[in-house]
Amino acid sequence: MRAGAAIAAVKRRSASRASTLYLFALPATLLFVVFIAYPILWVAGQSLYSGTTDGRAIFAGFANYKTILGDPTFWIVVRNMVLWGVITIPVQMLIGGLLAYFIERHTHALRGFFRTMFFLPVVTSVSVISLVWVQIYAPYYGIAQEYLKHVGIIMTTSPIGDPKTAIYALIIVNIWQWTGFSMLMYIAGMANLPSEVLDAARIDGARGWRLAVHVIVPMLSPATKSLLLLGVIGTLQTFPIVHLMTGGGPNRASEVFGTFIFKQSFVLGDTASGAALSVIVLVTALVLSLVQIALLGARLSPAGKEQP
Amino acid sequence: MMAPLTRNRIRGVVIHAVLFVVLGFWMIPQVYMLSIGLRTPAQAFDAALFTWPVTFDNFVTVIRDNPLGGIFLNSLIITAATVAIVVAVSSLFAFACAILRLKGSMLLYTTLLTTLMVPLASMVLPLAILLKNFGWVNTYIGLILPYAALGVPFAMVILKAFMEDAPRELFEAARVDGCNAWQTYWHVALPLVRPALVFVTIWQFIVTWNEFFLALIVLTRSEMKTLTIVPMQYSGLYMANPGALFAILTLIALPLILLYVLVQRAFVRGLLAGAVKG
Repeated sequence: MRAGAAIAAVKRRSASRASTLYLFALPATLLFVVFIAYPILWVAGQSLYSGTTDGRAIFAGFANYKTILGDPTFWIVVRNMVLWGVITIPVQMLIGGLLAYFIERHTHALRGFFRTMFFLPVVTSVSVISLVWVQIYAPYYGIAQEYLKHVGIIMTTSPIGDPKTAIYALIIVNIWQWTGFSMLMYIAGMANLPSEVLDAARIDGARGWRLAVHVIVPMLSPATKSLLLLGVIGTLQTFPIVHLMTGGGPNRASEVFGTFIFKQSFVLGDTASGAALSVIVLVTALVLSLVQIALLGARLSPAGKEQP
Repeated sequence: MMAPLTRNRIRGVVIHAVLFVVLGFWMIPQVYMLSIGLRTPAQAFDAALFTWPVTFDNFVTVIRDNPLGGIFLNSLIITAATVAIVVAVSSLFAFACAILRLKGSMLLYTTLLTTLMVPLASMVLPLAILLKNFGWVNTYIGLILPYAALGVPFAMVILKAFMEDAPRELFEAARVDGCNAWQTYWHVALPLVRPALVFVTIWQFIVTWNEFFLALIVLTRSEMKTLTIVPMQYSGLYMANPGALFAILTLIALPLILLYVLVQRAFVRGLLAGAVKG
């Protein structure tokens, strides 16, 4: 009886101590609730209402979604997003992986120099980058048309001014900006390769190309999976490059989710369809991420042992 | 004995040469930006990567005519505050999960982790409305707190992994010595994960400094604008004067590039240390 009371007292005391320990978790939780969870719930709710002229909101069910899915622009956006992800992610992995391999395995004194220089586009302000590339692509005075002439590519108009090429021209800029990030992720992954394994493989006669393909590529697969996961989310939140270089044009040919949401919500002031679009992007991102995490065991960061 | 050595040396030279050529192409946009900024008005529209002679007049003009100092300060205030909050909040949370192992903290951790799967594009509309309701449009805090909320999950993943890897005996020893949780956090946990703190600080700084979408919507008054969102207005202002436009773009891009060059060694060290923990 007394022992039970003592245990209860200890429990009570440690419970009150434990509750103050929750202060460690409180600030992060508060930020999450106010600025992540609440806005998501709000936008999900809002996507089911439509505004009226006198400012009242009427429950509309899935009408906003139907309107969005019936909008031809939506399907241009879907096509552009698929192109964006399917081109950007593998090309960045390939170039970034090759750079990482040669820099890490074959340079010494200049290693830091190369790592830094190839990463610089990542830290260069995206709005600056966009305007520089507009100039590069410009007809008459841009350097792209001037120098590509010498290798047989004749450009009479700016590639971002042509509905057929605009999205590809933007994808090139995106690849250029973010390849340094892929490179650094692979460099981190290569730091993880135990040199005994490499030595053993070399003794077994694997060298050069075969060593790279059969030993190094499989061992870098955690980095590759992270890049895939981050690449998909990055694709879905594409905005500044498109907004600044083409504004989604010409004739909406290079529209992406970011610019589409921006226009619906802040230019047209159509909160209802902006909300429905936001939810579509959010659900797409969650589904694609969870599928990758479940099927591939992909992780969200180069470090850490999280169990997402 | 001699043959493989020279073959290795030749291969090394070739690989270096190839890397320099690739880098040369890779740097074209930045070189082009600087090159246009250094042109006289007569050469401004020349379709060439380099022109001669060079002039610094454009830089003098744009520094004289524009309040770049104030814009720089806006960027610095928002970024520094965000980084400070992210580092503090995420390290506290990581400590609660990895060291204190509070009941329910793993569930909370997994919940917060979902933030990393949320594309910013789907958050701008609800955040814009929320900030409007708070009266936080055109305020620093209106960007700082959402940035912090979006940045904490990544930082806490890194810091939690580092804390879990730290030897547990140190924390036991601290408790035996009579340290309470706060003292253990401050005197034991934080010093142990220093490389991770440096890495998280630098990455959060880069991301916040360059964030565009939310800043575009929240900062509409010109005296509140950050370096990342002003280039658009200059592209209109200096449409007929590319020299001045690209001089100002160079100045806008420069602070973060210089900062990265200064801290890149510590940044990569933190990244590599984190990779080994994976």
